[in-house]
Amino acid sequence: MPNTDHDSETLVQTEGKVGAVMVLGAGVSGIQAALDVAYSGFRVYLVDKGPAIGGKMSQLDKTFPTNDCSMCILSPKFIECSTNPNISIITSAKIDGIEGEAGDFTVTLLQRPRYVDEEKCTGCGTCAEYCPVNILDTYNEALAKLKCIHIPFPQAVPAISVIDPTQCLFALRKICQICVPTCKNKAIDFHQRERKLDIHVGSIIVAPGYEPFDPQRQSQYGYRRLRNVVTSLEFERILSASGPYQGELVRPSDGKPPQKIAWIQCVGSRDTTVDNTYCSAVCCMYATKQVILSKEHDPNLEAVILHNDIRAYGKGFERYYERAKKMPGVRYIWSKASIVKERPDSRNVVLRYRINGTEVKEEEFDLVVLSVGLNSNEGNRELAEKLSIKTNDHGFCESPKFSPIETSRRGIFSCGVFHAPMDIPDSVTMASGAASLASQLLCEQRGTLVEEKVYPEERDVRGEPPRVGVFVCDCGTNVARVVGVPKVVEHARGLNGVVHAVEETFACSVDAIAHMVETIKEKSLNRVVVAACTPRTHEPVFQDVLRKAALNPYLLEFANIREHCSLVHMGEKKEATEKAKDLVRMSVTKALLLEPLYRVSYNVTRAALIIGGGIAGMVSSLVLARQGIKVYLIEKAKELGGLARKISKTLEGEDIQDFLNDLIREVNENPLIQVHTETEVVNFSGYVGNFSSKVKIGKEGIIKDIEHGVTIVATGAEESKPKEYLYGEDARVMTLLDLDEVIEKDVDRFKDCNTMVFIQCVGSRNEEHPYCSRVCCSHSIKNALKLKEIKPEVDIYILYRDMRTYGFREDYYKKAADQGVIFIRYDVDDKPDIQTVEESGKSLLRVTVTEPILGQRLMIDADMICLAAATVPPAKNRSLSQMLKVPLNEDDFFLEAHMKLRPVDFATDGIFMCGTAHSPKFIDESVAQAQAAASKAFTLLIRTAIEGEASVAEVNELFCSGCRVCELTCPYGAISLEADRGVAVVNKALCKGCGTCVGACPSGAILGKYFSTEQILAEITAALAA
Amino acid sequence: MDKLKLALYWASSCGGCDIATLAIGEKILEVAETAEIVFWPVAMDFKYKDVERMPDKRIDACLFNGAIRTSEDEHMAKMLRTKSKIMVAYGSCAYEGCIPGLANFFSLKSILERVYEETPSTDNPGKVYPQTRVQMPEGDLEIPELKNMVKTLAQTVDVDYFVPGCPPEEKTTWLALEALLNGKLPERRSVISHSSKALCEECSLVREGRKVKKFYRPYEVIPDPEKCLLEQGLLCYGVATRGGCGAMCPQAGMPCTGCYGAVEGVIDQGVHFLTALGSIIDSTDPVEIKQIVDGIVDPAGTFYRYSLPVSLFRRAKSV
Amino acid sequence: MTRFEPKIVVFLCNWCSYAGADLAGTSRIQYAPNARAIRLMCSGRVEPYFILEALHKGADGVLVLGCHPGECHYLEGNYRTVGRMALLKKVLSQFGIEKERVRLDWVSASEGARFATIVNEMTETIRTLGPFEEKDA
Repeated sequence: MPNTDHDSETLVQTEGKVGAVMVLGAGVSGIQAALDVAYSGFRVYLVDKGPAIGGKMSQLDKTFPTNDCSMCILSPKFIECSTNPNISIITSAKIDGIEGEAGDFTVTLLQRPRYVDEEKCTGCGTCAEYCPVNILDTYNEALAKLKCIHIPFPQAVPAISVIDPTQCLFALRKICQICVPTCKNKAIDFHQRERKLDIHVGSIIVAPGYEPFDPQRQSQYGYRRLRNVVTSLEFERILSASGPYQGELVRPSDGKPPQKIAWIQCVGSRDTTVDNTYCSAVCCMYATKQVILSKEHDPNLEAVILHNDIRAYGKGFERYYERAKKMPGVRYIWSKASIVKERPDSRNVVLRYRINGTEVKEEEFDLVVLSVGLNSNEGNRELAEKLSIKTNDHGFCESPKFSPIETSRRGIFSCGVFHAPMDIPDSVTMASGAASLASQLLCEQRGTLVEEKVYPEERDVRGEPPRVGVFVCDCGTNVARVVGVPKVVEHARGLNGVVHAVEETFACSVDAIAHMVETIKEKSLNRVVVAACTPRTHEPVFQDVLRKAALNPYLLEFANIREHCSLVHMGEKKEATEKAKDLVRMSVTKALLLEPLYRVSYNVTRAALIIGGGIAGMVSSLVLARQGIKVYLIEKAKELGGLARKISKTLEGEDIQDFLNDLIREVNENPLIQVHTETEVVNFSGYVGNFSSKVKIGKEGIIKDIEHGVTIVATGAEESKPKEYLYGEDARVMTLLDLDEVIEKDVDRFKDCNTMVFIQCVGSRNEEHPYCSRVCCSHSIKNALKLKEIKPEVDIYILYRDMRTYGFREDYYKKAADQGVIFIRYDVDDKPDIQTVEESGKSLLRVTVTEPILGQRLMIDADMICLAAATVPPAKNRSLSQMLKVPLNEDDFFLEAHMKLRPVDFATDGIFMCGTAHSPKFIDESVAQAQAAASKAFTLLIRTAIEGEASVAEVNELFCSGCRVCELTCPYGAISLEADRGVAVVNKALCKGCGTCVGACPSGAILGKYFSTEQILAEITAALAA
Repeated sequence: MDKLKLALYWASSCGGCDIATLAIGEKILEVAETAEIVFWPVAMDFKYKDVERMPDKRIDACLFNGAIRTSEDEHMAKMLRTKSKIMVAYGSCAYEGCIPGLANFFSLKSILERVYEETPSTDNPGKVYPQTRVQMPEGDLEIPELKNMVKTLAQTVDVDYFVPGCPPEEKTTWLALEALLNGKLPERRSVISHSSKALCEECSLVREGRKVKKFYRPYEVIPDPEKCLLEQGLLCYGVATRGGCGAMCPQAGMPCTGCYGAVEGVIDQGVHFLTALGSIIDSTDPVEIKQIVDGIVDPAGTFYRYSLPVSLFRRAKSV
Repeated sequence: MTRFEPKIVVFLCNWCSYAGADLAGTSRIQYAPNARAIRLMCSGRVEPYFILEALHKGADGVLVLGCHPGECHYLEGNYRTVGRMALLKKVLSQFGIEKERVRLDWVSASEGARFATIVNEMTETIRTLGPFEEKDA
């Protein structure tokens, strides 16, 4: 970014760079980075130390603040990774060494043996049934057991078995090997040894994540000694429907549902005794989530959260916290708790904590959850050392100022919790940003190492009578020992249209697939039914088979006779066989009606419109322009810079104006960026790849037409003007930004200032703005520290509700306290009061506030008062949202497509957001988000054409009355009424194929391809035909 | 050239369809010129036996209105089918059962109990019920038997054309008559209307693409006369009803009630209107959505007002 | 006497409930073999007409399973389903059809056990109600 020599290198040096990127760590950050890099035209090596991808997020039950099921939103990404031809997943591997430099690294990996041949294993799981050794299930946080040879968890990718050599009888004592003959594919291989892999890449993205703090380090929590004290991650597994208790909320000691649960916050965070002074940033919210979920399990449950400041600083968090707080039986208590004892009979846990500062209380709980912090472990330190990148005192990755994604070594980027404790959306944002930086670095090598599969030309089967081939898979014995496969094959042979039906041992094995391709060709099949496992994982595999056999991939239909039949009706062979026949018949019947489908492709205008010329808008402009994209950057003010123009330094002491001026200069100098100030969008139309806008430029109001492929909304936010505390009435009362200006330009004003009072949450977390403005606590600390620097003798009071200095900002909070800044907590129902009083000829601002520990009113005579005013969205967000047809949230910030996994995308393709337009945030966070938005935009812009979905909706104009019902049901704005002809038209570039409009049309005028009414009715009929 | 021999008959109906045939105004003269009416009980003095005496296919075309609810309806439908070259189900009752068809929400027994015992104005201490056969001094009297299931004409005999509407609009009637008189007939078994699409196509009210927060009955609101009634929360059936009538009701501020039946190709008009309504509710809160839905009074009666006998289930599993 | 085995048609959305059913499989959670699943991309594709057709063609019960509210892969499809199903249930009861024959519920990708429970409950409920028969004539 501002590191200009770095950039010039990117632009000039092209020799010897490698168009591949390695991503170390395959949690949600690594996965997102890998996908974005692959979509940007590079080869990706996605490396994880464990046997499967997914990281910690795959272990979570739900995610805050939407309570989205974690696996529901994550597992589609697993499949996206595993089916992308340009992503190689390397599991059970760690880095051994690295040579070379940015653009051309050689990374040496050590891959532990899996003892299972990845090529041969189909993941059928039969081996595990015969393995005699039970081991602790780490996916379930050791609360359950699984076999020594196992698939790590049900949705694991790669879905292949692995042997734990530390517990395998053969590996340890050369006995057993029972598993070997059970594998019909001969995949188990005890001859495997550790492998060394040398991989050439141009860049590395480091995303190794975190380890939860181990509470055994602090004996006072009784962890592992007391059965009913669990960590928050263990509790996630307990809550999870796929967890050790199948989603029953029970406690470990006796399997009974707890009536009363306590959460202890800040375990291993904000704690000098374990040397973790930082705040882990997510625990307040995940505990709140766990409270809400526990209450869903048992509405009568009592929940007590023993906490320090509640840090509900993110988008939607404050409302979530308020929701939990208001639930009956939920108590948030501001106190540090210790464990007294365990009741020997009930094994209940007794906690002791202090309330109101003085009173000590003991309370008994059925279960205690330790909200453990996020640590960067020894492995991360080792990794950093191998890569020669610097880490901070806490073991997290260090980055240059204003560029959180860069590391101390060129060409290596970091994202996710390895950078700092953060939640999922921030991790995903950084991951996309990291992809963007890697992509910039390797710009010229784009496309050099990616492969596109080449298929034979498709045979046109339209008009042919259906010739259906049915392939029924035994899945080793998984299907065959329950379902009478020969009977199913026999049944299939008798069905209308079926010309070939055959049993396969493993339909997905390499041999079987090759054979299937030949069979399709030989028998001139034009529809294929695969009766095997779930289409969710294997549809891509068999679609590939069809393409290899010159058939359109949509002429495939699945019958799930494994997950939906043999595995769930094991004791009922007759019924299972009948059901399998029904399922095959349903699929064959539908297959008869399948038609070839094609993705429609659209040209892309390689230009971006970026609305808002603050830091976020400028950063995203540069990311795109540096990679050759034409950018129109429009700003409503006279100058670029936005709100940041008013702030001189960050909390960490970095100079914002220097950074800003560098940015502005670079933006102005870049020939691909066309800047228009005093400019607004007045008209907006089109769709992804093909937008056209009209903007009104300058005072003269010149209208300019802009054609662009993507749009980024970076309209920023503003500091509100307080309506209370004498603001605007008394010049000594100012906002944080006002104070910034005084510090910058008018230090003399502090001469007579002996007492300064900061009041937090002015206009935030109230009825008008029921959200937290995120930055003000740190902003106040920054100004307090600066004041102490200017005038050490000044008395500073900070009146706060919760100090929300999350992450490493906590260290500055501590520093301020160490320097004598006095922090007084106030309650929202008992806010501070300010009066002007005359005393001994001097006018004073008298602040009265209740001191919470003493419970008494405290009077502070202040010379100056600083109000931490709310960050608010610009009023114009409303009109912009209507023009762009993108939604705002209830607070008028722009609303993303998905709070967790699509934090910079709108539901409408091709429109993105970044910076404070999304929600209040710090500059480094805005930078990361801007890079992420640009990355997402870029993955669209580099395509020669954008391909829509194949299974889209299509309006039959002969039946459409133009009633607009369909239009109302489409969340993607893909349907519009064509005014002249009075009929609805589906924009196939925007349609996602959900079929909601198809279902809604009262005239039956919309065809839902691949799921047509005719096809579904045929399935229904076939299901009931037995 | 012989004049076209035309029969008109009313089965279980209100008489509105017969009146509707006259609504064509002076065009009736054109009809009189080219056609000869051979049977029209409501307007001219013919006896059933006159029809019985006719040779088969003597009648060129029969406009049959009314649902098939009694043994007499059924008998006449079969007889007229035999005597007619072309059988036209004229009007909603004959076409899809219409208001008489709503009887299919109840059993015959419960209807009779209601009518002959329970209504407030009934005084029937002896619980006297009509009988199909009664002995009187003058001889045996026979009145038609009321059936448990109301059927459409097509569910009773083979029908060549359908004319929708309760009653059919003048222009629809003329479209059918013109075709018959000129012999320029459309494909057999088709529905004769100026439109095969839903009514919205011909409605001039402005649709803004708005979801519905609350449903109203017509007396509860005064709608904006320029805007789409459905978007204003009125249960306007136009989205799921065949057009051709000219959308006079909605344009006069009264929501369409669906009398032209399902649009071309749709089976079960009611469930399609239901689906459309369920799809345009302006809420993402399941509890609120259910509350909004609860604002629709008598949904089945509303959705199947005209089409219960041609719906998938044809009748309720009523007591 | 042989026990009545109801025929149940289940509509599953690709992203949550179908995945939940898959998880029931990989977790080997056993449940009644009476259900026949039809996969759609979203529960919003389910037309109430399909449900009537299923009953008409001989199903004794119909299950519609989607993503939990707020979790729809297509943002709002399941809310459309809520509206339609609420209306359909009212209409069915006016048709004299037991409302238990049609059930809308939510299953996430991690709720294999819940999927199995719902199928079992539905099977038992319909078994108690007996076969679905239309009245004719």
